[in-house]
Amino acid sequence: MLLRIARLQLRNDAWAEDAVSETIVAALEGLAAFNAKSQIRTWLVGILKHKIIDQFRRRSREVAIEAQRQAPEVDTLEQLFDDSGHRVSAPLDWGDPESQLARNEFFMVLQACIDQLPAPLARIFLLREWLELETAQICKEMQVTSTNCFVMLYRARLRLRECLDMNWFAVQDRR
Amino acid sequence: MARLIIDCRQAHWLLSRERDAPLRWSERLALRLHLRVCDWCSIVQRNFAFLSQAVRRLDH
Repeated sequence: MLLRIARLQLRNDAWAEDAVSETIVAALEGLAAFNAKSQIRTWLVGILKHKIIDQFRRRSREVAIEAQRQAPEVDTLEQLFDDSGHRVSAPLDWGDPESQLARNEFFMVLQACIDQLPAPLARIFLLREWLELETAQICKEMQVTSTNCFVMLYRARLRLRECLDMNWFAVQDRR
Repeated sequence: MARLIIDCRQAHWLLSRERDAPLRWSERLALRLHLRVCDWCSIVQRNFAFLSQAVRRLDH
């Protein structure tokens, strides 16, 4: 479970394994102080989040190079709008978050959608929305301009929105 | 002075950006005006909020 999360965020198997090993070491060191077993998962993920941020700091140069190399996309996103800037097709109304978020399959589809993003987009999106770092801090660590940072987050959100529409919500309607 | 009449493409962009940094007042006004008349962009606004909520629970 930890490795899956770390891979999703770091998009690099070796870095993910490092983050998880460090989490386990830190967990064992802290275990004496830890009692409430029911929250062990939350506790471990809490440590992992710190280790993931450590990995980004340590790998900042590689991460920045990858982020800068990210080619400007002329892709599916442009097809969402016509020449006058209007949306071409209706987005699906996703309804009540609570009922969807109670379903494990939803999260499997969400993870698959995140996995399909190019690595720099996935990283920046998860740093912002999962690790909830400030945008200014993320841009600085990724060494991209703030405009570029906003554009990457925009692309990630739109791609994820389309992916979930197609692979989860549209399928739900048909059932 | 930015334009107050924006299209869906610009509205989508502002809907994403407002989740990362405060918009200028003119941008906020333009977005609000657009959302009043555009159901599709209003749906996208809710979708983005849903997405944030979902991602925060990825590890649960």
